[in-house]
Amino acid sequence: MKTLMQTIFQRYWNPYVVLLIAGALSALYFGLTSTVWAVTGEFTRLGGDILKLFGVDISGWQYFDMVHLKGTTWNRPDGWMVWGMFIGALLMVLFSNSFKIRLPQQKRRYVQGLVGGIIAGFGARLALGCNLAAFFTGVPQFSIHSWIFIVATGIGTFFGAKLTKTRWWKGRPSLTRGASKPSKVNSRVIQPYIGSVIAIVYLGLIIYFFATGQKFLGLGALFGLAFGILIERGQICFTSAFRDLFLVGRSVMAKAIIAGMAFSSVLTIIVISIYDVTPITQIAALSTFVGGALFGLGIVMASGCETGMMYRLMEGQVLFLPVFVGNIIGATFLAYAWDHLGIYNVLVKSGAKINLVESIGPVGAILLTLTMLGVLYTLTVYSEKRYHRKLIMKRGMKEHAN
Amino acid sequence: MQTNNEADFTLDLRGESCPYPVIYTLEALEGMKKGELLQVITDCPGSFRNVPEEALAHGYTFAQDPIKNGQEYLFYIYA
Repeated sequence: MKTLMQTIFQRYWNPYVVLLIAGALSALYFGLTSTVWAVTGEFTRLGGDILKLFGVDISGWQYFDMVHLKGTTWNRPDGWMVWGMFIGALLMVLFSNSFKIRLPQQKRRYVQGLVGGIIAGFGARLALGCNLAAFFTGVPQFSIHSWIFIVATGIGTFFGAKLTKTRWWKGRPSLTRGASKPSKVNSRVIQPYIGSVIAIVYLGLIIYFFATGQKFLGLGALFGLAFGILIERGQICFTSAFRDLFLVGRSVMAKAIIAGMAFSSVLTIIVISIYDVTPITQIAALSTFVGGALFGLGIVMASGCETGMMYRLMEGQVLFLPVFVGNIIGATFLAYAWDHLGIYNVLVKSGAKINLVESIGPVGAILLTLTMLGVLYTLTVYSEKRYHRKLIMKRGMKEHAN
Repeated sequence: MQTNNEADFTLDLRGESCPYPVIYTLEALEGMKKGELLQVITDCPGSFRNVPEEALAHGYTFAQDPIKNGQEYLFYIYA
């Protein structure tokens, strides 16, 4: 038992295992609710709630109608998806006794987080989904907008990584001569007890939702909890998937995400065929590309996307507070700009909803999707190899010069 | 708690979030002479995995196993 507890709470889980489970759960969630695992749509609604709180009349804003801004976050299943993720991540942090207020040494990170958060929030909503609805859960819905989004995010991330490497952006680390002492460890362990109390209250709430017939709130709260647990334990970072390939030739997260999407696509096509549900399709337009590129740039600037930000905030990484605020500001500004600044007319109107299942049938859709993911996987392996080949050459030249 | 007094340099990354711990660590190692020992103190959970894995992938070796010290990790890496 002790070793089992250690495996669960003292070590982070293999990202492949985590993303395969997440892929399976998101297909199941789709089968049960006909909606997908997503977060930024709710961020936009939160922005709308806040505007209403300050007395702003948002009744005419088209974007809020489109994302069905009704009620409060507490009686929206998508709302509980978000809060469930926060709580699931927090529980794992507390059970593993790893909460700690972490303040960045480089003060510039706060500004970078806020600005990056705004750009990422704006871009995600412009493209109608972040790396969940337009990526991890968008590809398995066979919505073409997610294919455009992936390419655009890759491009945005590339420029983000370039920016990250500049001296004025990354700042100087505190490298000192000699050894120095680590922090004193507090021997009293109280975090797991706090976690247990929160877990009991939250499970009670989920039972309450089901017992009172609020099935969709219960499912949102339950699946949110599961996704929160998974992303924290797997340290799932969509931002790092592309970025670390460009920065340090690291490919594990990209490969695990692709594997998870492939598995989820197969399960989703089965769900679609058996239960005859309609996959969720978003408009593919110029806005998808522009939004994806902005999103890719923003998440690298902020050091985390809308999903990764959630568990990092729960770990006590204070940097992600301005990122969260930025995400909501960006999403809300997009909701304003959508009709008031003519974004819809310029970038979205000419687009169309294209779904592979509708256009080429279920067999073609899954085959084409798996082929696309195969190509993506090959490109990932290729970039990793290329990075390391260049590194060896650089080393060789350095030694030769010496 | 043993501390390694032979470290030539210390990189204190407490508070920094990913990807900066990896970038800083690789940069510090690149700037050091071969055989010098770097001590890394980090508390970003993502870095517990990507710092040691990338140090190895970039051809550096570890002087000893990573030490978990409460909510932070200590790494001892030879440049």
